[in-house]
Amino acid sequence: MGLPDMISPSPQARPARLTYTDGTARTVFCTAVEMPFPEGSLIVSRTDLQGVITHANQAFVEMSGYEREALIGAPQHILRHPDMPKAAFKDLWDTVSQGKKWHGYVKNLRKDGSYYWVYASVVPNVRGGVITGYTSVRRKPSRTRVAEAAALYEKCILQEAAPS
Amino acid sequence: MTLNFLIAPDFSPERFAGWHMLNTALQKRSGIQLHLLTPTSAAEQAAFLAEGKADIVYANPFDAADMVRALGYLPFARPVNRSDEMVIACAAASPVQKVEDLKSGCRIAVTDNKDIKLIGQRLLEPADIGPADIQWVIVDSYQAAARMAIKRDVDAAFFLADSFASLSRMTRSQIRPLVESAIHDISHVVLAHPHSAQHLPALGAALLALHGDEFGQSVLDALGMADGFEPLSQEDAEFMIDLMDTLLD
Repeated sequence: MGLPDMISPSPQARPARLTYTDGTARTVFCTAVEMPFPEGSLIVSRTDLQGVITHANQAFVEMSGYEREALIGAPQHILRHPDMPKAAFKDLWDTVSQGKKWHGYVKNLRKDGSYYWVYASVVPNVRGGVITGYTSVRRKPSRTRVAEAAALYEKCILQEAAPS
Repeated sequence: MTLNFLIAPDFSPERFAGWHMLNTALQKRSGIQLHLLTPTSAAEQAAFLAEGKADIVYANPFDAADMVRALGYLPFARPVNRSDEMVIACAAASPVQKVEDLKSGCRIAVTDNKDIKLIGQRLLEPADIGPADIQWVIVDSYQAAARMAIKRDVDAAFFLADSFASLSRMTRSQIRPLVESAIHDISHVVLAHPHSAQHLPALGAALLALHGDEFGQSVLDALGMADGFEPLSQEDAEFMIDLMDTLLD
């Protein structure tokens, strides 16, 4: 079963329909409000091989806006922002499923429709030579790099939306 | 048989007596002879490891990563509520108000603690400053780092958070933290060489039981680890190592 549609946090919130790689879809709402990254913190989570969240640190919980109970067992794409191109996440999964580390700038969607930018690193959890899950760590990003990523992602999304 | 108990060289000098108290307490409670090794530098520690002299190790997290994954050391305990954090600070009178005010070419004082240097570098990323953009000034103690910051010989200095907190009140009044890490998931750990595995049940029990009585508590207080030690599973250690792996680049 997929995630339920978001509830619009305000009349000005921008709706978007997201379809995820597991075939589910939901409507999300985005506002122009950016949450500042917590100074000095790392936002940490772990997922299983299917991308289901199995661990979230307190910074992850607070920045997501969800209760911990709602996050554990939920798919990682609960934080997917419609301004992120599908290509970025395809690159992520293609990289980590090969046992390699992935880095990238990511705009995440909070429960209330606001957003936050992170510099994310994802490493496969290799145990006994086998990938058993993934650890994701997000750090405070450079605003210069965020601006570059935002411009790139905007172009990617336009390309993804264009008729092939 | 005597086992060598190596303590990572980044502990505060005022804890030196505490480590000797711990060594003595563990010997009495476990019945295992322990010889304390307190290398004064990362190089000296590396030499002990290379010579195979480190049977039990209180390891800093980044060294622990290599010891667990490359050398097969067995994780078995870690201090409770004692995560490894760091502080970036500048002179109180410095015009620098936040990390983003530091510019390429800035001078930063660091000790040879590579964990602190690595975490500090990550905290400087929002300022668009990479390691190559910094003029590193290597100092032999956090007190020396503080003096350089106060005299404005450097733009900022990196500190182990515990060491920053233990600076004198006079010193701290002359420097100002720009950011303090709040990672929580990274800490020193206690490891055993695989050839010492048969001693782990006795040593682990002695270490974990310190929190339960008056004398044990006095040892923990002397170490600055009032909440004692807790068991550390292989998976707990692997999780911490995965997390640190993300900080390497």
